[in-house]
Amino acid sequence: MFKIPKEREVPFAGVTPAPVAEQPMMITGNWRTYRPVLDAEKCDLCLNCVHYCPDACWTLDDAEESVLWNSKYCKGCLICVNECTAEALIKVHELDFEDGVVRLEKLF
Amino acid sequence: MAHVHEITVWTRGVVKDKEGRDVASALTSAADKEGKFTQAFDNYVDLPDRVNVPVRKYARISDEEIEMRYDYENENPEVVVVVDSVMVKGMDILRGMKGGGILVVNTNRKPEDILKFIPNKNLLKAIACVDADGIAGSSTVDFSGTEGGVDATGVGSGIAAPLLGAVAKATDLVKLENLTAVVKNKEALRLGYENVVIQPVH
Repeated sequence: MFKIPKEREVPFAGVTPAPVAEQPMMITGNWRTYRPVLDAEKCDLCLNCVHYCPDACWTLDDAEESVLWNSKYCKGCLICVNECTAEALIKVHELDFEDGVVRLEKLF
Repeated sequence: MAHVHEITVWTRGVVKDKEGRDVASALTSAADKEGKFTQAFDNYVDLPDRVNVPVRKYARISDEEIEMRYDYENENPEVVVVVDSVMVKGMDILRGMKGGGILVVNTNRKPEDILKFIPNKNLLKAIACVDADGIAGSSTVDFSGTEGGVDATGVGSGIAAPLLGAVAKATDLVKLENLTAVVKNKEALRLGYENVVIQPVH
């Protein structure tokens, strides 16, 4: 086998280090125009949002009492709003929020 | 070497791709009628675009032949057009701007509502907000003309038209009558020119 010096190692094309739960090199929160907002009182924990989210941005919290939203990777596809049976999710325009700024220096 | 006016258009992949391309190409076509040297092209790095990803379109207008013709990015834009207003939140849209630039945003909000999301707003001379979605009604989703083929739907039939009107009023790059000769939706172009809110930034 070749011995490659550490400083000359290059990542294999298209491969990023395996994430545990999040991949900080591929943040896609700035694709979003609308964000889903949860009304916790209406939510009956049917977990449709958790099951249908293509990017696993909805998760059940450890206490299993509410669902949590991940703003860094949600692309605003609004499938969760469509699938919510309790009508606990609504879409709100992203510019209505001060937070959730995922400002990327490089695009991708 | 003559000064090259660089215009960068930020838009969304696929769903508003044609609108961004129309802004860049209509500006250069109109400037071409005034005898300027022009260039309009996509950002190669952003391609292939996917739905909703940020993509950039570039335009260059110069009085003399463009020596930087083969530079594939606009390093120092002086006019930035944002086709989807949410993009001011996502990234540094004014990157490379040297100061005294103009920002044109498609939004129905007030200029100060947009400026609060831009940390480097001191680079701007003025911000122009136009409700292009409200004026034009819809954006064109069409791949015609993407790869340099024939553009079947015409340049500026959707929200690009009011945005171009706003650019014509906020900057002195092109004249409105030359844009009118190029753009398909002339009514939306005129409404964009008349209804744009231009506010100086201090």
